[in-house]
Amino acid sequence: MKRAQRLVGAVGILLLAGSAGQLLGRRTRDGFDHAKHSKLFPSCQSCHAGIRDASQPIFPSTASCAECHDGQVEKRVDWEAPVTPPPTNLRFTHARHDTQVRSRLGADSTLACVACHSEKAAGWMEVKRTLSRQCLDCHGHAETHLAVADSACASCHLTLAQASTLTRETIAGFPEPESHQAPGFALSGHGRQVSSTIPGQAVAASCATCHARDFCITCHVDAPEQRSIQALGEDPRSLAIATELKAPPSHAAANFLNRHGAQARGGAQECRTCHTRESCSTCHTQEPAAARGLAMAGAGRGKGAEVTRGRPASHGTDFRDSHAALAQASPRSCAACHARTECLDCHRPTAASTGSYHPAGFLTRHPVAAYARETSCADCHSSTAFCAACHQQSGLTAQKLLGSGYHDSKQSFAFGHGQAARQNLESCVGCHVERDCLTCHSARGGRNFNPHGPGFDADRMKRKNSETCTVCHGASIP
Amino acid sequence: MLVIGAGCAVSPALAQGYRVRLDGRVQSVGFRGVELDSIPVSSAVIGPSGGSYSPDGFAVRCAPGSAFCYFFRPGREQRAAPAVTSADFTVWGLGLTGLSFHGSARVAADLGNADVWPGTDPSVQLLEAYAEYNTEPLIGRLGRQVYSSRLGFSGFDGARITLRDVKRGFDAVGYFGQGLARGTALPVTSPALNPLDDFQPHDRQIVAGAALGYTGGLADIRLDYQREVDPRSDHFVSERAALASEVRLIPRLALAGGAEYDIAQGIWGSSDVTLRYVAPDFALSAGFQRYRPHFELWTMWGVFSPVAYQAVTGSASYSGLPHLQLRARGTRFFYEKTETETPLVSVEDHGWRYSLGATWTPIAQLSLEIGQEAEFAPGGSYVSYDGALSYAPREQLLFTLYGAKLTRPLEFRFDEATLREVGVGGSWRPSERWQVDLSAARFAENRKRPDAAAFDWNQTRLSARLSYLFGSGEGTLRLPKGRRPTETGSRTP
Repeated sequence: MKRAQRLVGAVGILLLAGSAGQLLGRRTRDGFDHAKHSKLFPSCQSCHAGIRDASQPIFPSTASCAECHDGQVEKRVDWEAPVTPPPTNLRFTHARHDTQVRSRLGADSTLACVACHSEKAAGWMEVKRTLSRQCLDCHGHAETHLAVADSACASCHLTLAQASTLTRETIAGFPEPESHQAPGFALSGHGRQVSSTIPGQAVAASCATCHARDFCITCHVDAPEQRSIQALGEDPRSLAIATELKAPPSHAAANFLNRHGAQARGGAQECRTCHTRESCSTCHTQEPAAARGLAMAGAGRGKGAEVTRGRPASHGTDFRDSHAALAQASPRSCAACHARTECLDCHRPTAASTGSYHPAGFLTRHPVAAYARETSCADCHSSTAFCAACHQQSGLTAQKLLGSGYHDSKQSFAFGHGQAARQNLESCVGCHVERDCLTCHSARGGRNFNPHGPGFDADRMKRKNSETCTVCHGASIP
Repeated sequence: MLVIGAGCAVSPALAQGYRVRLDGRVQSVGFRGVELDSIPVSSAVIGPSGGSYSPDGFAVRCAPGSAFCYFFRPGREQRAAPAVTSADFTVWGLGLTGLSFHGSARVAADLGNADVWPGTDPSVQLLEAYAEYNTEPLIGRLGRQVYSSRLGFSGFDGARITLRDVKRGFDAVGYFGQGLARGTALPVTSPALNPLDDFQPHDRQIVAGAALGYTGGLADIRLDYQREVDPRSDHFVSERAALASEVRLIPRLALAGGAEYDIAQGIWGSSDVTLRYVAPDFALSAGFQRYRPHFELWTMWGVFSPVAYQAVTGSASYSGLPHLQLRARGTRFFYEKTETETPLVSVEDHGWRYSLGATWTPIAQLSLEIGQEAEFAPGGSYVSYDGALSYAPREQLLFTLYGAKLTRPLEFRFDEATLREVGVGGSWRPSERWQVDLSAARFAENRKRPDAAAFDWNQTRLSARLSYLFGSGEGTLRLPKGRRPTETGSRTP
């Protein structure tokens, strides 16, 4: 039962909502159906006498409607003549237009209302608001309304800043010219069309009709430097036409981050349109020279492109391990975005650091990583202050006693240690000192084993640092 | 240095702009190492497997002719609590356009019971402190600084001049000064660099170098030369040259690599070349790498002729699936001939490694990362599995839970070990000035060894970090990671 009641209630609410919608819809329609009354009125002036005679009202009075719509002959109507002119951006008045027609075509010339308000084949009183096509035809413009030359716009239209009666809603509903859909219009296209063909005018009327300075400042950081933008009036209503700053296709190129510096140095003028100096400092740790050509953020300028600091294409998932090559080849590129403290955080780690470069738990596998090293430990760690000191505290030192048996996985390790030593001497150094090796490998004592292996250049060594040679060879270096 | 230090000390008061970052970290670690012990040969007993054992069950090594047998028993439990406070500062606006001061210093101490932690001695370490004069064609630096190149990170106290032709992309660098040791901010004469009491230079080396570079849209190339000389004997400590480059002839495709030559020893050092293709949904790379360790000539290590290994590498990552990213890497490497073969020893000269991983991000706040890595190489091998779950309910808050399992043979030591790790961490940034990090990790090891030396390496680590940033100017202090304030103090609108 309750379910049925709920269903009925819901249907009722829907019906009510629908009826209200219909009512509201009717109220918003044009109140007077001209075509329906076509047989009653032989001329336009009978109702709109004020069009030609400024002393008369433009619209009929309510009383004149009530002559028929008295509630008996016809139902009453609640229409009232508007007391203010409708919102418009037309610089047109009927009286002036009439005067101009007469002055141009002759004193006895006249222009019927239907010339502008009815389609050419339309019947009597099948009228519409201004038909721009008719205007253009009379004025000799074959193009479509929104494609006429900019010099023609001002014949009929005020600039947006001058058309103070237009509401934001009306402005938002302005039709978009076809030219605005052309590829590249938003980037460089509109800049080429902004110049007026009328001498002495800084901005094309075709722009000024729909746009004001505030609209341009949505994107243009260089608005104060752009004469055409400054020529437009200020008007916040112009923001009713939504626009947004979009990155040009060049910025999507895979290597854009690498190349943007050269491009900026070669043509900062282009960058200046959308970027403030703050754009550069979002990433750059030091202000690049090209940034000096850009404006600081400030009043009267667009806030510009909001730059997000992103990873360049080169900074892939394994970049942590492979960054050395790029950093070595181009330290300046790194320094553009990274501060030295970042390098030192890893390359000179603190004693209390839990590690940022190595993954969690690296301590457990560091012996293997140090042996067959993928990266050089010595770039960040001192083999004595870090490796040897820690091993010493853990008891992992030879303590000048070879054959202690620590390497007990192979009983013959001492015989085969040469391989381990040559393959990774840096690991040996973690626990052994030079004297351990000199016990056997010295020309002056021990077992006189020759430590020199493949590629050893004795002459060069003697020339560069003979002191090293004297440790084993004394004064008689061969 | 005193002048620089004094300048740095007074300049914040006089300068129009400054940024200071104070960063305090503390870690608590309890661990047990090993301790060398011995027994007389006569005390050794024969174990069930026939080998020699100590009376308390440790396998011992009795060298022929020696009166003692040696073994490693568990060391005493040690507790370390390294605490480090770092201060980084930049000061500008001193009346001369382009002049600024930069510094980075650390104060460290081990608050544990044994003062064992590496890197806490000496307690005050100066990483960098220099004055910089920066104009477009010239950059001059004076003071302690770190110069990074293909030859590594070289620290020195001295001067450096860079001349730039920004428009054409060329630059030239020259530097000269007293050098610091590799991998640390300490001079080679520091006692902290001689923990095992062996050879150590008496004087700091004189370092001098030069570089030429070109940076362009299609390619970067850099040539470096560096020499280090012992001022006491005028002998070379090192003399090296290196070439590094990256070429980007086709969008998304880059060829990067370089090579080092040790002029002092007359040998080629490390080199590599990698071809990398990065598309929006995937990335591929393939390359060749050669690694050869570098030792300065004041050590003996170079004369032992360490050999290089050569590797071919490849990697791929794919992020075309919704919420999922996949990645894989692999390397096959070969050591060059060591000339150490003996009748008793067969030489292993090759190895491989690979890693597989996936990251699943079902929602922006949550990500799950799993991976597997394995390596087989002479001297060490392992297989590991790891996973991490990260949850960021707000931009300022991040929680991480992670775990790993590692199976490995102990390097040149008997026998295998399985190690498990679990950890939890949290990061909180209550404001732009403050950041707090806390983490805890537990390592649990199981050693498969049939004697008393099968003791574990279990340990728990706790760490905390507090970072505070302050400076002149209003608004954002904590800039995007990797960014520091500009002299204009300007920011993103």
